Amino acid sequence: MKTIADILKEIRPEFDFTTSTDFKADGMLDSFDMVTLVATLDKTYGISISGADIVPENFQNLETIAALLRKNGVQP
Amino acid sequence: MTPFRTVAGVFAAIQTVKAGAAGFCTNFFPDGQKLQDWVERNELHGESCAGALFLFRRDHDFSRLYFCAASPAALRAGIATLAGLRNERIVVDLVGKESAPGEIFLALEAAGFRRYQQLCRMARPGQSALQAAGGAELPVTLAGHADVPAILALLEGAFDRYAEQLPLTAEIENAVASGQIFVVRLEGVLAGLLFFETQGVTSILRYWLVAEAFRARHVGAALMRHYLATQSTVRRFLLWVIASNDNAVQKYRRYGFVPDGLVDHVLASEPIYNENHR
Ligand SMILES: CC(C)(COP(=O)(O)OP(=O)(O)OC[C@H]1O[C@@H](n2cnc3c(N)ncnc32)[C@H](O)[C@@H]1OP(=O)(O)O)[C@@H](O)C(=O)NCCC(=O)NCCS
Repeated sequence: MKTIADILKEIRPEFDFTTSTDFKADGMLDSFDMVTLVATLDKTYGISISGADIVPENFQNLETIAALLRKNGVQP
Repeated sequence: MTPFRTVAGVFAAIQTVKAGAAGFCTNFFPDGQKLQDWVERNELHGESCAGALFLFRRDHDFSRLYFCAASPAALRAGIATLAGLRNERIVVDLVGKESAPGEIFLALEAAGFRRYQQLCRMARPGQSALQAAGGAELPVTLAGHADVPAILALLEGAFDRYAEQLPLTAEIENAVASGQIFVVRLEGVLAGLLFFETQGVTSILRYWLVAEAFRARHVGAALMRHYLATQSTVRRFLLWVIASNDNAVQKYRRYGFVPDGLVDHVLASEPIYNENHR
Protein backbone atom coordinates (compact mmCIF):
# COMPACT_ATOMS: atom_id res chain seq x y z
CA MET A 1 0.00 0.00 0.00
CA LYS A 2 1.29 3.46 -0.89
CA THR A 3 2.13 5.76 1.97
CA ILE A 4 0.90 9.34 2.22
CA ALA A 5 4.42 10.52 1.44
CA ASP A 6 4.43 8.38 -1.74
CA ILE A 7 1.15 9.91 -2.87
CA LEU A 8 2.37 13.44 -2.23
CA LYS A 9 5.58 12.67 -4.09
CA GLU A 10 3.52 11.62 -7.12
CA ILE A 11 1.60 14.90 -7.07
CA ARG A 12 4.65 17.13 -6.51
CA PRO A 13 7.81 15.11 -7.22
CA GLU A 14 10.03 18.16 -6.79
CA PHE A 15 9.35 18.51 -3.05
CA ASP A 16 10.40 16.56 0.02
CA PHE A 17 7.24 16.47 2.12
CA THR A 18 8.88 14.64 5.02
CA THR A 19 10.82 17.77 6.00
CA SER A 20 7.88 20.17 6.28
CA THR A 21 5.41 20.73 9.11
CA ASP A 22 3.32 23.23 7.14
CA PHE A 23 2.94 22.39 3.46
CA LYS A 24 1.02 25.54 2.62
CA ALA A 25 3.36 27.99 4.35
CA ASP A 26 6.32 26.24 2.75
CA GLY A 27 4.73 26.63 -0.68
CA MET A 28 4.46 22.89 -1.29
CA LEU A 29 0.72 22.39 -1.82
CA ASP A 30 -1.64 24.87 -3.38
CA SER A 31 -5.43 24.66 -3.34
CA PHE A 32 -5.50 22.83 -6.68
CA ASP A 33 -3.00 20.22 -5.47
CA MET A 34 -5.28 19.67 -2.49
CA VAL A 35 -8.15 18.72 -4.79
CA THR A 36 -5.89 16.18 -6.56
CA LEU A 37 -4.69 14.85 -3.22
CA VAL A 38 -8.22 14.26 -1.92
CA ALA A 39 -9.19 12.40 -5.11
CA THR A 40 -6.05 10.24 -4.88
CA LEU A 41 -6.54 9.44 -1.18
CA ASP A 42 -10.17 8.46 -1.88
CA LYS A 43 -9.10 6.14 -4.69
CA THR A 44 -6.06 4.64 -2.98
CA TYR A 45 -7.77 3.84 0.33
CA GLY A 46 -11.31 3.24 -1.00
CA ILE A 47 -12.82 6.00 1.14
CA SER A 48 -14.79 9.17 0.52
CA ILE A 49 -13.41 12.12 2.45
CA SER A 50 -16.33 14.32 3.40
CA GLY A 51 -16.54 17.81 1.93
CA ALA A 52 -16.59 19.23 5.46
CA ASP A 53 -13.13 17.76 6.07
CA ILE A 54 -11.55 19.35 3.02
CA VAL A 55 -10.12 22.28 4.95
CA PRO A 56 -6.48 23.45 5.01
CA GLU A 57 -5.91 22.36 8.65
CA ASN A 58 -6.37 18.71 7.66
CA PHE A 59 -3.69 18.96 4.97
CA GLN A 60 -1.06 20.86 6.86
CA ASN A 61 1.48 18.02 7.15
CA LEU A 62 1.89 14.23 7.06
CA GLU A 63 0.59 13.87 10.62
CA THR A 64 -2.66 15.81 10.04
CA ILE A 65 -3.34 13.85 6.84
CA ALA A 66 -2.74 10.58 8.74
CA ALA A 67 -5.23 11.73 11.38
CA LEU A 68 -7.80 12.47 8.66
CA LEU A 69 -7.32 8.98 7.22
CA ARG A 70 -7.72 7.39 10.68
CA LYS A 71 -10.98 9.32 11.06
CA ASN A 72 -12.06 7.61 7.82
CA GLY A 73 -11.19 4.16 9.23
CA VAL A 74 -7.81 3.79 7.51
CA GLN A 75 -4.57 2.96 9.35
CA PRO A 76 -2.00 4.70 7.13
CA MET B 1 -26.83 39.91 -0.21
CA THR B 2 -25.02 39.70 3.10
CA PRO B 3 -21.50 41.03 3.67
CA PHE B 4 -19.04 38.65 5.32
CA ARG B 5 -17.44 40.21 8.39
CA THR B 6 -15.10 37.34 9.31
CA VAL B 7 -13.17 34.58 7.57
CA ALA B 8 -14.72 32.08 9.99
CA GLY B 9 -18.13 33.25 8.79
CA VAL B 10 -17.17 32.42 5.21
CA PHE B 11 -16.02 28.90 6.14
CA ALA B 12 -19.14 28.32 8.24
CA ALA B 13 -21.34 29.26 5.29
CA ILE B 14 -19.39 26.91 2.99
CA GLN B 15 -19.61 24.12 5.55
CA THR B 16 -23.40 24.17 5.53
CA VAL B 17 -23.34 23.37 1.81
CA LYS B 18 -20.48 20.87 2.00
CA ALA B 19 -21.76 18.72 4.86
CA GLY B 20 -22.63 15.31 3.47
CA ALA B 21 -22.65 16.51 -0.16
CA ALA B 22 -21.16 13.81 -2.37
CA GLY B 23 -21.36 15.91 -5.53
CA PHE B 24 -19.89 19.04 -3.96
CA CYS B 25 -18.53 21.45 -6.55
CA THR B 26 -16.85 24.81 -6.20
CA ASN B 27 -14.63 27.33 -7.91
CA PHE B 28 -13.62 28.89 -4.59
CA PHE B 29 -10.01 28.03 -3.68
CA PRO B 30 -9.03 31.02 -1.60
CA ASP B 31 -5.61 31.58 -0.22
CA GLY B 32 -5.89 32.36 3.52
CA GLN B 33 -4.29 35.80 3.41
CA LYS B 34 -6.22 36.93 0.34
CA LEU B 35 -9.50 35.87 1.90
CA GLN B 36 -8.61 37.84 5.03
CA ASP B 37 -7.89 40.92 2.89
CA TRP B 38 -11.17 40.64 0.98
CA VAL B 39 -13.14 40.40 4.23
CA GLU B 40 -11.27 43.32 5.79
CA ARG B 41 -11.83 45.48 2.72
CA ASN B 42 -15.51 44.54 2.82
CA GLU B 43 -15.34 43.17 -0.73
CA LEU B 44 -17.03 39.83 -0.10
CA HIS B 45 -20.80 39.29 -0.03
CA GLY B 46 -22.77 36.09 0.02
CA GLU B 47 -26.14 34.78 -0.96
CA SER B 48 -27.31 31.27 -0.15
CA CYS B 49 -30.19 29.12 -1.18
CA ALA B 50 -30.97 25.41 -0.78
CA GLY B 51 -27.80 23.47 -1.57
CA ALA B 52 -25.74 26.37 -2.87
CA LEU B 53 -23.77 29.37 -1.67
CA PHE B 54 -22.76 32.23 -3.97
CA LEU B 55 -19.96 34.60 -3.05
CA PHE B 56 -19.53 37.90 -4.86
CA ARG B 57 -16.22 39.71 -4.62
CA ARG B 58 -15.96 43.31 -5.71
CA ASP B 59 -13.06 43.79 -8.15
CA HIS B 60 -12.60 47.23 -9.72
CA ASP B 61 -15.92 48.03 -11.44
CA PHE B 62 -17.31 44.48 -11.61
CA SER B 63 -17.77 41.37 -9.44
CA ARG B 64 -16.18 37.96 -9.39
CA LEU B 65 -18.60 35.16 -8.64
CA TYR B 66 -17.63 32.07 -6.69
CA PHE B 67 -19.95 29.19 -5.92
CA CYS B 68 -20.10 26.25 -3.55
CA ALA B 69 -22.85 23.80 -4.42
CA ALA B 70 -23.93 20.39 -3.18
CA SER B 71 -24.01 19.21 -6.82
CA PRO B 72 -23.99 20.67 -10.34
CA ALA B 73 -27.80 20.36 -10.33
CA ALA B 74 -27.98 22.40 -7.10
CA LEU B 75 -25.72 24.98 -8.73
CA ARG B 76 -27.98 25.21 -11.75
CA ALA B 77 -31.13 25.53 -9.60
CA GLY B 78 -29.51 27.99 -7.20
CA ILE B 79 -28.02 30.30 -9.78
CA ALA B 80 -31.39 30.62 -11.49
CA THR B 81 -32.78 32.19 -8.30
CA LEU B 82 -30.22 35.03 -8.21
CA ALA B 83 -31.96 38.21 -9.23
CA GLY B 84 -30.46 40.57 -11.81
CA LEU B 85 -27.53 38.33 -12.67
CA ARG B 86 -27.83 38.90 -16.41
CA ASN B 87 -27.59 42.68 -16.12
CA GLU B 88 -24.65 42.79 -13.74
CA ARG B 89 -21.00 42.87 -14.75
CA ILE B 90 -19.78 39.52 -13.43
CA VAL B 91 -16.85 37.22 -14.15
CA VAL B 92 -16.52 33.56 -13.15
CA ASP B 93 -13.28 31.58 -13.21
CA LEU B 94 -13.49 27.82 -13.65
CA VAL B 95 -10.18 26.16 -12.98
CA GLY B 96 -9.67 22.52 -13.81
CA LYS B 97 -7.59 19.92 -15.51
CA GLU B 98 -9.89 19.19 -18.41
CA SER B 99 -10.37 21.48 -21.31
CA ALA B 100 -14.16 21.14 -21.03
CA PRO B 101 -15.66 21.79 -17.58
CA GLY B 102 -18.89 19.96 -18.52
CA GLU B 103 -21.93 20.18 -16.30
CA ILE B 104 -20.77 23.23 -14.35
CA PHE B 105 -20.13 25.16 -17.53
CA LEU B 106 -23.60 24.26 -18.80
CA ALA B 107 -25.16 25.46 -15.55
CA LEU B 108 -23.37 28.80 -15.85
CA GLU B 109 -24.22 29.10 -19.53
CA ALA B 110 -27.87 28.55 -18.70
CA ALA B 111 -27.58 31.52 -16.31
CA GLY B 112 -26.30 33.74 -19.14
CA PHE B 113 -22.51 33.43 -18.86
CA ARG B 114 -20.36 33.23 -21.99
CA ARG B 115 -16.83 31.94 -22.63
CA TYR B 116 -14.68 35.03 -22.43
CA GLN B 117 -11.05 33.98 -22.23
CA GLN B 118 -8.87 30.97 -21.42
CA LEU B 119 -5.69 30.98 -19.37
CA CYS B 120 -3.24 28.15 -19.01
CA ARG B 121 -0.86 27.54 -16.15
CA MET B 122 2.82 27.09 -16.95
CA ALA B 123 5.44 25.68 -14.60
CA ARG B 124 9.20 25.55 -14.48
CA PRO B 125 11.44 23.54 -12.15
CA GLY B 126 13.61 25.70 -9.92
CA GLN B 127 16.91 24.31 -11.00
CA SER B 128 16.54 24.17 -14.76
CA ALA B 129 19.25 25.89 -16.72
CA LEU B 130 18.53 29.06 -18.70
CA GLN B 131 18.93 28.41 -22.40
CA ALA B 132 19.51 32.06 -23.10
CA ALA B 133 18.94 35.38 -21.41
CA GLY B 134 19.93 38.67 -22.91
CA GLY B 135 19.85 42.07 -21.26
CA ALA B 136 22.63 41.34 -18.75
CA GLU B 137 23.82 44.93 -19.00
CA LEU B 138 20.45 46.48 -18.10
CA PRO B 139 20.01 47.59 -14.47
CA VAL B 140 17.27 45.67 -12.64
CA THR B 141 16.25 47.02 -9.22
CA LEU B 142 13.49 46.53 -6.69
CA ALA B 143 10.55 48.88 -7.20
CA GLY B 144 10.20 51.70 -4.69
CA HIS B 145 7.16 53.42 -3.26
CA ALA B 146 7.44 56.22 -5.84
CA ASP B 147 7.01 53.65 -8.66
CA VAL B 148 3.53 52.56 -7.55
CA PRO B 149 1.48 54.93 -9.80
CA ALA B 150 3.60 54.09 -12.86
CA ILE B 151 3.34 50.35 -12.13
CA LEU B 152 -0.43 50.61 -11.84
CA ALA B 153 -0.70 52.64 -15.06
CA LEU B 154 1.48 50.17 -16.96
CA LEU B 155 -0.50 47.16 -15.75
CA GLU B 156 -3.87 48.76 -16.40
CA GLY B 157 -2.83 49.79 -19.90
CA ALA B 158 -1.66 46.33 -20.90
CA PHE B 159 -3.80 43.71 -19.17
CA ASP B 160 -7.45 42.76 -19.31
CA ARG B 161 -8.86 43.33 -15.84
CA TYR B 162 -11.61 40.75 -16.34
CA ALA B 163 -9.31 37.88 -17.27
CA GLU B 164 -6.05 38.76 -15.58
CA GLN B 165 -6.92 39.77 -12.00
CA LEU B 166 -5.31 43.20 -11.89
CA PRO B 167 -3.99 44.26 -8.49
CA LEU B 168 -5.34 47.21 -6.51
CA THR B 169 -3.04 50.04 -5.43
CA ALA B 170 -2.88 48.54 -1.92
CA GLU B 171 -1.67 45.19 -3.29
CA ILE B 172 1.02 46.89 -5.35
CA GLU B 173 2.12 48.84 -2.27
CA ASN B 174 2.34 45.62 -0.25
CA ALA B 175 4.31 43.90 -3.00
CA VAL B 176 6.72 46.83 -3.20
CA ALA B 177 7.15 46.79 0.58
CA SER B 178 7.93 43.07 0.57
CA GLY B 179 10.38 43.29 -2.33
CA GLN B 180 8.24 41.44 -4.87
CA ILE B 181 8.42 43.78 -7.86
CA PHE B 182 11.53 44.19 -10.01
CA VAL B 183 11.76 47.09 -12.44
CA VAL B 184 14.00 48.43 -15.18
CA ARG B 185 14.09 52.20 -15.59
CA LEU B 186 15.37 53.63 -18.87
CA GLU B 187 15.48 57.19 -20.11
CA GLY B 188 13.94 58.32 -16.84
CA VAL B 189 10.79 56.20 -17.12
CA LEU B 190 9.59 52.79 -16.01
CA ALA B 191 10.48 50.57 -18.96
CA GLY B 192 9.36 47.24 -17.52
CA LEU B 193 8.40 45.28 -14.43
CA LEU B 194 8.18 41.77 -13.08
CA PHE B 195 5.74 41.22 -10.21
CA PHE B 196 5.97 37.94 -8.30
CA GLU B 197 4.91 36.18 -5.09
CA THR B 198 7.33 33.75 -3.52
CA GLN B 199 6.08 31.54 -0.73
CA GLY B 200 8.47 28.89 0.53
CA VAL B 201 9.64 26.73 -2.35
CA THR B 202 7.06 28.04 -4.85
CA SER B 203 7.12 31.32 -6.70
CA ILE B 204 4.23 32.69 -8.74
CA LEU B 205 5.10 35.11 -11.50
CA ARG B 206 2.09 37.40 -11.56
CA TYR B 207 2.96 39.97 -14.24
CA TRP B 208 5.83 40.38 -16.65
CA LEU B 209 5.45 43.53 -18.67
CA VAL B 210 7.55 45.89 -20.77
CA ALA B 211 6.22 49.27 -21.95
CA GLU B 212 5.56 49.14 -25.68
CA ALA B 213 8.25 51.67 -26.55
CA PHE B 214 10.89 49.44 -24.93
CA ARG B 215 9.87 46.01 -26.20
CA ALA B 216 12.25 43.69 -28.07
CA ARG B 217 15.24 45.45 -26.50
CA HIS B 218 15.97 42.75 -23.92
CA VAL B 219 14.28 44.56 -21.04
CA GLY B 220 11.99 41.56 -20.55
CA ALA B 221 14.96 39.20 -20.69
CA ALA B 222 16.86 41.25 -18.10
CA LEU B 223 13.91 41.14 -15.69
CA MET B 224 13.35 37.42 -16.19
CA ARG B 225 17.01 36.53 -15.79
CA HIS B 226 17.23 38.57 -12.59
CA TYR B 227 14.05 37.09 -11.16
CA LEU B 228 15.03 33.47 -11.86
CA ALA B 229 18.53 34.03 -10.52
CA THR B 230 17.45 35.67 -7.27
CA GLN B 231 14.88 33.03 -6.24
CA SER B 232 17.51 30.46 -5.39
CA THR B 233 15.42 28.56 -2.83
CA VAL B 234 12.46 28.17 -5.17
CA ARG B 235 11.82 24.68 -6.52
CA ARG B 236 8.77 25.45 -8.65
CA PHE B 237 7.90 28.56 -10.65
CA LEU B 238 4.30 29.00 -11.74
CA LEU B 239 2.38 31.51 -13.83
CA TRP B 240 -0.96 31.93 -15.59
CA VAL B 241 -1.00 33.28 -19.12
CA ILE B 242 -3.74 33.88 -21.68
CA ALA B 243 -3.51 30.76 -23.80
CA SER B 244 -3.72 32.71 -27.06
CA ASN B 245 -0.93 35.16 -26.11
CA ASP B 246 1.58 33.43 -28.38
CA ASN B 247 4.24 36.09 -27.90
CA ALA B 248 4.33 35.56 -24.14
CA VAL B 249 3.84 31.78 -24.25
CA GLN B 250 6.80 31.42 -26.63
CA LYS B 251 8.99 33.60 -24.46
CA TYR B 252 8.02 31.71 -21.32
CA ARG B 253 8.92 28.45 -23.07
CA ARG B 254 12.29 29.96 -23.87
CA TYR B 255 12.87 30.34 -20.13
CA GLY B 256 11.88 26.75 -19.39
CA PHE B 257 8.17 27.10 -18.57
CA VAL B 258 5.80 24.46 -19.93
CA PRO B 259 2.00 24.13 -19.59
CA ASP B 260 1.22 21.91 -16.59
CA GLY B 261 -2.29 20.96 -17.67
CA LEU B 262 -4.27 23.34 -15.46
CA VAL B 263 -6.66 25.62 -17.34
CA ASP B 264 -8.73 28.61 -16.18
CA HIS B 265 -11.89 29.15 -18.21
CA VAL B 266 -12.96 32.74 -17.69
CA LEU B 267 -16.68 33.24 -18.22
CA ALA B 268 -18.34 36.64 -18.33
CA SER B 269 -21.89 37.88 -18.03
CA GLU B 270 -23.40 39.41 -21.14
CA PRO B 271 -22.69 43.09 -20.39
CA ILE B 272 -18.95 42.33 -20.20
CA TYR B 273 -19.00 39.82 -23.04
CA ASN B 274 -20.82 42.25 -25.35
CA GLU B 275 -18.49 45.11 -24.46
CA ASN B 276 -15.53 43.05 -25.70
CA HIS B 277 -17.00 40.98 -28.55
CA ARG B 278 -18.81 43.62 -30.54
C1 LIG C 1 6.46 39.52 -22.85
C2 LIG C 1 7.28 40.80 -22.72
C3 LIG C 1 7.36 41.18 -21.25
C4 LIG C 1 8.71 40.54 -23.26
O1 LIG C 1 9.50 41.73 -23.07
P1 LIG C 1 10.55 42.25 -24.15
O2 LIG C 1 11.41 43.24 -23.50
O3 LIG C 1 9.84 42.66 -25.37
O4 LIG C 1 11.36 40.92 -24.46
P2 LIG C 1 12.91 40.79 -24.83
O5 LIG C 1 13.28 41.73 -25.91
O6 LIG C 1 13.72 40.84 -23.60
O7 LIG C 1 12.87 39.31 -25.37
C5 LIG C 1 12.76 38.20 -24.48
C6 LIG C 1 13.42 37.01 -25.15
O8 LIG C 1 12.73 36.68 -26.34
C7 LIG C 1 13.63 36.79 -27.47
N1 LIG C 1 12.87 37.38 -28.57
C8 LIG C 1 12.53 38.64 -28.73
N2 LIG C 1 11.86 38.80 -29.86
C9 LIG C 1 11.76 37.60 -30.41
C10 LIG C 1 11.15 37.10 -31.58
N3 LIG C 1 10.50 37.89 -32.41
N4 LIG C 1 11.25 35.78 -31.80
C11 LIG C 1 11.91 34.96 -30.97
N5 LIG C 1 12.50 35.38 -29.83
C12 LIG C 1 12.41 36.67 -29.56
C13 LIG C 1 14.73 37.70 -27.01
O9 LIG C 1 15.92 37.45 -27.70
C14 LIG C 1 14.86 37.33 -25.57
O10 LIG C 1 15.57 36.12 -25.40
P3 LIG C 1 17.04 36.11 -24.77
O11 LIG C 1 16.81 35.94 -23.28
O12 LIG C 1 17.68 34.95 -25.37
O13 LIG C 1 17.68 37.39 -25.09
C15 LIG C 1 6.67 41.94 -23.56
O14 LIG C 1 6.50 41.48 -24.87
C16 LIG C 1 5.34 42.42 -23.04
O15 LIG C 1 5.29 43.29 -22.19
N6 LIG C 1 4.20 41.90 -23.57
C17 LIG C 1 2.89 42.29 -23.16
C18 LIG C 1 2.56 41.80 -21.78
C19 LIG C 1 2.56 40.29 -21.71
O16 LIG C 1 2.02 39.62 -22.57
N7 LIG C 1 3.15 39.76 -20.63
C20 LIG C 1 3.20 38.34 -20.38
C21 LIG C 1 1.97 37.82 -19.79
S1 LIG C 1 1.94 38.12 -18.04
